[in-house]
Amino acid sequence: MSDVVIIGAGIHPFGRFDKSYEELGAAAAAAALRDAGVEWSQIQAAYLSRMYLPATSGARILRRLGSTDISIVDIEAACASGGAALRQAVLAVRSGEIDLALVLGCEKMPRGFMDPSMIYSAWQIELGMSLNPAYWSMRAKRHMHDYGTTERQIAKVAFKNHRNSVHNPNAMYQKEFSLEEILASPLVCDPIRRLEICAPDDGAAALVVASAERARKLGAANPIQIAACCHTIARYSADFRCPADSMSATADNPGPTEVAANQAYERSGLGPKDINCFEVQDTDAFCEIEIYESLGLCALGEGGRLIDEGVTEIGGKAPVNMSGGLISKGEPVGASHVGQIVELVSQLRGTAGKRQVEGAKVALGHVLGAGGNCAVTILKR
Amino acid sequence: MTAQNESPRVPVREGLFSGPLSDLDRVTLAGSRCSSCGETSLGSKTLCANCGKETVRDIALGTRGTLWTYTVVRHRPPGNYKGPEPFAPFGLGLVELPEGVRVMAPIHCDVDKLKIGLPLRFKPYLRKDDGREVVAFAFEMEETEAANV
Repeated sequence: MSDVVIIGAGIHPFGRFDKSYEELGAAAAAAALRDAGVEWSQIQAAYLSRMYLPATSGARILRRLGSTDISIVDIEAACASGGAALRQAVLAVRSGEIDLALVLGCEKMPRGFMDPSMIYSAWQIELGMSLNPAYWSMRAKRHMHDYGTTERQIAKVAFKNHRNSVHNPNAMYQKEFSLEEILASPLVCDPIRRLEICAPDDGAAALVVASAERARKLGAANPIQIAACCHTIARYSADFRCPADSMSATADNPGPTEVAANQAYERSGLGPKDINCFEVQDTDAFCEIEIYESLGLCALGEGGRLIDEGVTEIGGKAPVNMSGGLISKGEPVGASHVGQIVELVSQLRGTAGKRQVEGAKVALGHVLGAGGNCAVTILKR
Repeated sequence: MTAQNESPRVPVREGLFSGPLSDLDRVTLAGSRCSSCGETSLGSKTLCANCGKETVRDIALGTRGTLWTYTVVRHRPPGNYKGPEPFAPFGLGLVELPEGVRVMAPIHCDVDKLKIGLPLRFKPYLRKDDGREVVAFAFEMEETEAANV
């Protein structure tokens, strides 16, 4: 099987902008093409990851780069949309049918909580079950009960990610908060607080993906190998992220992160100990603690210890969310995973500036959301 | 015809309840038990939510359970929320029932009394909605427990 590589990466900052989604998306796509040294007319297929944009958004955005007759499709898999889109590009290139593709993630979202009718049934909305953070919070409460995880440990994750974001010009919030400020911010849903959750926003990110052979022919200076790109949906009762109405007390299926990560580890021949840096779905600060465990960075129940020991800080053994994570970047859903990959490409190229993990050779991106949608991508230089 | 069909009352969700809606004392949550994989899931179903087989039958779920996890919703939920006005923070939890299913439900009690393991009782109630009576549900603290705390 031929290797699939990333030869170009581009991003439009995440935040809130007085621009159309077409402008945001086209800016990121043009940046990725420029970075790859490739013309739009050379691209053979394009995949748009988005959740909240209208039909044919991919075609509407990309016609700004010039008229074309290639296949352009929109892909949606909730918070894992970017992984699902990248996976389609990888499969198409690996099949040999094409050897140069564009993956674009783009979103423009209103302020405040997401429109619940996108994922919840009418009766759940009526009964007050339509607040996403409520689900994350219930997971946190149970973890605290089972393993002694503390509110302070959860706050430490938010502290780390907000601090990392200060060096990321593409983050929505680039502001450090003290642990005391985080713990004094209002509860949204106990035990999760306002400075511990991510907000929906606008943003776009893009990648130029090629076969290794095409990359050589193009003279790509620093191709980054996609060692694995896996997407899964949780089995029955393996996740109650949202919009669950119940779960089983007896079924014991592996969770979505375990499934996607184990697939990615198997396909890449790499394990968590081989990976130098991670970008993961910190929709809330607790979620990151749980993901340490699901990705195999530590045993079940030990996620709190990892943050206490500084293992996941830049400079630690397993740095997580060098970009500042979703907590500081916001979550423009369709752009989220593609944005993570742009960050990880810069880490592997050694161009991440003050966020740089020294000598990073292998990196992992992870997203997780509604319906137990999860994607894990492993990159290698 | 059952009393359920004669009643002008409607369930907040089809297939969620078992028993006549005209007599709330006899209403429970409905479940679906699969004889192939043994799983019980919430609501009446024609296929098992776990294994997808047709070997399911409707059962009435128990009315007493314990709180498996919870949160306090401190912001008004987005969309067409029909809880008490003005909005007040409320408990939301997963209630573990004896049949092996954990049900997401609002918990009607003082939010300061919420704790994992709390004994709870199913509480169907009526809500007026465009002239119709809608049967909704929550869980509440067992009376004995309420008297002791």
